[in-house]
Amino acid sequence: MKLAPLSVPYRALQKAGRLAISLVFLGSVGTEIGLSRTLVIVGVGGAIALALGYEFVYYQRYQYTFTDDTFDIRSGVLSRREREIPYGRIQNVDISRNVVQRLLGLSAIDIETAGGGSTEAAIRYVTAEAATTIQNEIRNRKRGDDRRGTVNAASTTTDTVAGDDNPTAESDDSEVAATAAAGSAEPDDELLFEISPGELALAGVLSFDPRVPGLLFAVFTGSIPFISPVVPEPDAVATTGLDPTIVLFAMGVVVLVGLVVLSWVVGAVSAVVNYWGFRLTRSETELRYERGLLQRYSGTIPFAKIQTLTITDNPLKRRAGYATLAVETAGYAPGQANDRGSEAAVPIASRDRIKRLAAEIDGCEEGSFDHPPKRIRRRYLARYLLALAGLTGLLYAGSVSVTGLADLPWYLPLAGVVIAPIAAHYKWLHRGYRLGADHFVTRNGVWNRETKRVAYHRLQTVIDSRTIFQRRWRVATVIADTAGSLSLLGNDAAAVDIETDDAIALRDDLRDRLQESLAERRQERAAGSSTQIIEGPADELSAVEEAESVDDDSETAAVNDEELSTLDDDEISAVDDDEISTVDNEGPAAAGKEEPVAIDDDETAATDDDETTAGDNSETQPAENGSTDE
Amino acid sequence: MNALNPRIRVVWVVRSLIGALVLGGAAGGIAVYRSASLTIPVGLTALFVGLGIGHAVLRYRSWQYVVGDDALYLERGVLTQVRTEVPLVRIQHVDSRRSAVERLVGLASTVVYTAGSRGADVTIPGLTPDDASDLRQRLKGLAIDADGEDAV
Repeated sequence: MKLAPLSVPYRALQKAGRLAISLVFLGSVGTEIGLSRTLVIVGVGGAIALALGYEFVYYQRYQYTFTDDTFDIRSGVLSRREREIPYGRIQNVDISRNVVQRLLGLSAIDIETAGGGSTEAAIRYVTAEAATTIQNEIRNRKRGDDRRGTVNAASTTTDTVAGDDNPTAESDDSEVAATAAAGSAEPDDELLFEISPGELALAGVLSFDPRVPGLLFAVFTGSIPFISPVVPEPDAVATTGLDPTIVLFAMGVVVLVGLVVLSWVVGAVSAVVNYWGFRLTRSETELRYERGLLQRYSGTIPFAKIQTLTITDNPLKRRAGYATLAVETAGYAPGQANDRGSEAAVPIASRDRIKRLAAEIDGCEEGSFDHPPKRIRRRYLARYLLALAGLTGLLYAGSVSVTGLADLPWYLPLAGVVIAPIAAHYKWLHRGYRLGADHFVTRNGVWNRETKRVAYHRLQTVIDSRTIFQRRWRVATVIADTAGSLSLLGNDAAAVDIETDDAIALRDDLRDRLQESLAERRQERAAGSSTQIIEGPADELSAVEEAESVDDDSETAAVNDEELSTLDDDEISAVDDDEISTVDNEGPAAAGKEEPVAIDDDETAATDDDETTAGDNSETQPAENGSTDE
Repeated sequence: MNALNPRIRVVWVVRSLIGALVLGGAAGGIAVYRSASLTIPVGLTALFVGLGIGHAVLRYRSWQYVVGDDALYLERGVLTQVRTEVPLVRIQHVDSRRSAVERLVGLASTVVYTAGSRGADVTIPGLTPDDASDLRQRLKGLAIDADGEDAV
C-alpha cells in the first residue's frame, strides 16, 4: 500500500520551506556581498522543484504491507531501507494530525517498538482512512496473535500440563478466526474515561509551565543589548529622586510576577490544547486514547506493554479530591517529547475516578505503606536547614560584597526554618513502599506526591544503593528499574531511606517475586501452547522451549490443575488479576507453606535456592552457585 | 563473590592521574600567567593524585560480582555503595570491550545491557580478556536459557 498522493506536495512544501528559509537568509546576507536577487529567487524555485521531484520518487518508492506476522515497510530514494516489524513487538501505534494535515485529509503515523529512544517507523502522511485502517489492522493482527494464544489455552484447560497434541491444527483454526476478526473494522471499545469540561478547565488552571522562565532567560540573555535600554540608568533614576535599589527591586518583582503569570498562561493554554476531548477507551487487549485540539493525537497502548502507572497529587489537589494518572510503556513517548513524556496521562480527575481507572488498567489493590524509620526525619530537617543556611549565607555575602544590594533582606530565607520541620515530616510521611500481590508500589515527594506501581514481571534491574550519608543513618535506597519511558528521567519506582536490613530483604524479595511471576507466566503459556509455538508474538508466547530450568519444572509439577485453569484467562486483562493473585498466594503454599506470601517469601526463596543448587550444580559453576545472597 | 583483577587499580590510577595532570596543568598555567608561585598547583596535583590512588584502592576493595542462578549481582562503590541485581532473563545483549589503558595492562570489560533505563549499562571492568569473553559467553548462554519472556 502507498502513501496518500497529497503527501507529495505537502512534504515537498515542508522540505522546500526549510530550504527556502535558509536560502532567504543566505540571500539577505548574499545581497550584501553581491549576489543578485534573481539568483536567490531561482534558488528558492529550484529548491521547490527539487523537493517536489524528490518527494515524488519517495512516494513512488514507499510501500507498506501487512504480511502474516510482520508489518513491512520498503522506502528510500537514495539509500533504500526495508523493515519488517513483527506485530508482537509493536508497542503502540499513534496517529497525529495537525490543522493543515486535517484540512488536506492527511495523517502521520508513528509505530513504536521497545528499545531505542526513537520511533521505529514514522509513516509520513497517509489518508485519514488509511491511518485508521492501519491502526485497526495492526491491532487486529496483534490480537489475532494473542487470541491464538488464548484459544489454545482455552482448549487445553482439560489436559493442562500434559500439553496439547496438535497445536498446529488449533492455531490454524484461530488463524482463521483472527483474519475474520481483522475483517470487522470497528471493535467494541469500552469507554474508560472522558474528560469533562470542568476537568479540562481545572487541568488548564492547575498547569504551570516551568520551562517558560528558563526559555525566556535563554532568549533574553542572548539579547541583553535589547533590554538594557529598558532598565533605567542609575543617573536617570537619581534625577527622579528615588532610591535606585528600590527601583531595581520593584522591577525585579514585576518581572518575577510577569514570569509566573506568563508561565501559568502558557501552561494553561498548552494543557487545554493538549487534552481537548481526551478519551480513553479499552478494547480486549489495549488502551486507546484520543486527545488534542490543534493537533489530534490518537494512539493505542497494549496492556501487555504497560510498564508503570503513576498517580500524582499535591496538597491542593488532595484537598479538592483530585489526582493525575500517567501510564508508561516501554516505547518512546510520541508527539509528546515536549510534554510530560507519558503515553496516556489523565491530566486531572477526581481521585475516585483515577483510582478506579488505575485499578482497571493494572488491577493493583490499595493498601498501606511501610514508611522509612522515624529517625530519618531528623536527617531531612538537617538537610533543609543546611539548604536554608546556604541560601542565607549566599544572600548575605552578596549584600556585603555588592554595594547596590546592601539593603537586600538576606535574612528572608530564615523564615523557612519554621516550615522545614513540617516539610521534613511530610517528606517522611509520604515516603513508603508496599509489596502488593502483583505489584511493587512506592510513594515519594513532599509537595507532589507520586505513587508508582510496577508489576513484578516488569522489573528490570533492582539496585540498592547507600550514600555515605545514608550509611551514617543506617538506611538505603532500593530502586526498581523498569523499561518505562519516564524512567529515562530517573523517575523509577524507589523505596528511599529504608532500614539497611529491610533494603536487603526487599531486594531479595523483588528478585524472587520477579522470578515467581515469570515462572507463573511461563506456566500460563506452557498450559496454553506447548513447545512449538507457531507464530505467537515473540514476546508473549515464545520460548517455553527446551530451556525450562530445573526449578521451573519442579514448580510446574507442584501447582495443580485447577490453578492453571483459573490462569488460562487472558493474562493481560487487568481485571483478572484477582485470580492471578490467588494463585500467587497458593504458589508458595503448594511448596508446603501456609502463611501469606509476604512473610514466608524468604523461606520459599531459600528452599528454591536449595533445589536449584542441587539440580543445577552440574551445569553451572559450582564455586559461585547460590552465593548471590551474601 | 569474585573480585576484579588487581591490575584494574592501575587503570583507575592512570585515569585519575590524567585528570589530576590536566587540572594541575591548568592551575600551573594560571599560576605562571599571573607569575605566582607554583606551590599551589603542585600541591593540588599531588592532592588529586593521592585522592585518585586512595579511591582506586578502595574502589578495588569494594568491587565484587557474581553470576547467580537467576541474576547477575554486582556490589561496588566507595562513597555511595551500590548493589545491582540484573535478572538474567532481562539481559538484552552483552559486549566485551577494551579501552586503550585497559589494553596496556591487558584487561578488558564486559558490558551488560538491559531494556531498563538505569541498568542499561552495567559494566564489569577489570577482567582478563579471556575472562571477559568467557563471562560474555556465559551470560549470553544463561540469558538464552532463561529467555521465554520479552525482555521488556
